[in-house]
Amino acid sequence: MSDRTENLLLILPGLLLLALAFFLPIFQMLALSVAGPDGPTLAHFARFLGDPYYLGILWRTVRLSLIITAICAIIGFPLAYIMARVGPRLRLWLIVIVILPLMTSVVVRTFGWMVLLSRSGLVPELLRDLGLVRRNFSLMQTETAIIIGMVQVLLPFMALSILGVITRIDPRLEEAARTMGCSFLQTLRTVILPLALPGIVAGSLLAFTLSASSFVTPSLLGGSRIEVLAASIYSSVTQTLDWPFAAAQAVILFVGVILVLIPYMKVTGRSHG
Amino acid sequence: MPAVKLDAIRKSFGKVAVLHGITLDVEPGEFVSLLGASGCGKTTLLRIVAGLESTTSGSVHIDGHDVTGLPPEDRDIAMMFQSYALLPHLSVSENVRFPLRMRRIGSREEQDERVKKVLETVQLGHLAERRPRQLSGGQQQRVALARAIVSNPKVLLLDEPLSNLDARLREDMQVELIEIHKRLGLTTIFVTHDQEEALSLSDRIVLLNNGRIEQEGAPDAIYDRPATEFASNFLGSANILPALIEGLGGTPVAVLADGQRLPLATDEPARGDVRLALRQEDIHLAIAGDGPDAEVRTRVYLGARSRYVVSLAGQTVRVLAPNDTVFEPGQRVTLTIAPERIRVLAR
Repeated sequence: MSDRTENLLLILPGLLLLALAFFLPIFQMLALSVAGPDGPTLAHFARFLGDPYYLGILWRTVRLSLIITAICAIIGFPLAYIMARVGPRLRLWLIVIVILPLMTSVVVRTFGWMVLLSRSGLVPELLRDLGLVRRNFSLMQTETAIIIGMVQVLLPFMALSILGVITRIDPRLEEAARTMGCSFLQTLRTVILPLALPGIVAGSLLAFTLSASSFVTPSLLGGSRIEVLAASIYSSVTQTLDWPFAAAQAVILFVGVILVLIPYMKVTGRSHG
Repeated sequence: MPAVKLDAIRKSFGKVAVLHGITLDVEPGEFVSLLGASGCGKTTLLRIVAGLESTTSGSVHIDGHDVTGLPPEDRDIAMMFQSYALLPHLSVSENVRFPLRMRRIGSREEQDERVKKVLETVQLGHLAERRPRQLSGGQQQRVALARAIVSNPKVLLLDEPLSNLDARLREDMQVELIEIHKRLGLTTIFVTHDQEEALSLSDRIVLLNNGRIEQEGAPDAIYDRPATEFASNFLGSANILPALIEGLGGTPVAVLADGQRLPLATDEPARGDVRLALRQEDIHLAIAGDGPDAEVRTRVYLGARSRYVVSLAGQTVRVLAPNDTVFEPGQRVTLTIAPERIRVLAR
């Protein structure tokens, strides 16, 4: 048996799995999204794009994902820098703390936030006691709650992506910058930030795509009034049983994520070239 | 007023003391080498001058100002790193401009002018727009040098800048460093473990050993008159032999362990138990002559010369000799050395 056929045999199981579990469903989804009673139709897309309600859902999904990604980056960059520069013991503990949310079930984690954020919860009560908010204030069923909950879940992706890049930055570069007149913060801005950019971009993509397609956390923390695209797909499938319309929404989400990924691939492809 | 004044610098990392009270003045325009083996504290001392490392006690003055507690960016210094530490996301000219930009020296046009001039100085004008990783090691080195001198700092700190270069480039760079130092007259502190580099570049060598200054002085002084066994060993890797000095009839003679004798200079004041430091290149071998007997053990061919390992009075002695006469292992030879070339070290 030649090397070629041997290699082919070895990747066959993986290819089969991809074909069955990934390409086939996506193809079916694409087919379903244009399925109509009298042959192929774009009516489902037209319905989505022509209805201000659904456009509002799309816009909210994009807007929240962008805000969540930005907050993750703003917290994740200094966090990753600190993780990269402390001793190995402390770094291990920080990593454990950061990825802890990923190890708990999404439901448990979200209920934790519900306890903290609801009207009689810790956070609103504290804010009320401080006189910062009115008596009826609650954080549950708000976009803020979604953002808080999602940032907690997605921060590890961001922090670890950036950490991987920063640990490979030679600490001598920082020292050199200091001897050339940079203060600590200027060093972060002029040396570490530009060099950590690939990690920030990779982490942002992860955070954006994951938050754009997330379902459980937004549904539980935002409630049914504040719907995001994934939740809307879910209700089309389970409540109105309009599968072609659900498929059309899924395609729109899919295409949106791809549109974000392509420029990134171009950017990273160039920097490797 | 000294350009750099170090006063009783001590430094410990945890329980490990690295520097035990270093006091040193560097005069304006002087080129001082901190020479020593790895782990002697020379790099730590340089980093203390730079402000990259704090002192446990003692003070640092630069140009008359106490900078002991100041961070590096508030000291008028420039440093060149062993690994060059060029910023990979900036072009060559942006790297060289970086200290001017961060220290706000001159207008944009003046900065352009200075960057251009200093890149010409190190013969890299044609590579100004390249990225550091597109350059060879020697070119990166010269960019690092350009970046260090462009801001015309009060003190230039060089941390083993030549150790990553191959032999040929290192020689070129040494010449370049000497010429640039002569032209700009920058006060320079140079850290190296290479005695030849220290000897050829410096106005003054400070020999460090285990966090203390072992000896300091002009290169020829410290080379010709090493004060201690460590100094004579480190500079020129001399042979150290125990001996007893007898003053027979006014002329001192060193008696080796097996009773053989070596004449010393007539003004040698020491008597009794001592150690002799014999430089490898000062010892001459001959088939027969007036001097102690020795046996050749090994010959290492070095091109222009050979290094012989000989047994003398039960000790191993290394000798550098020209290749006009060749001695074979096992051969009996006599060993002569000019009396004034023998250093006598107190026991």
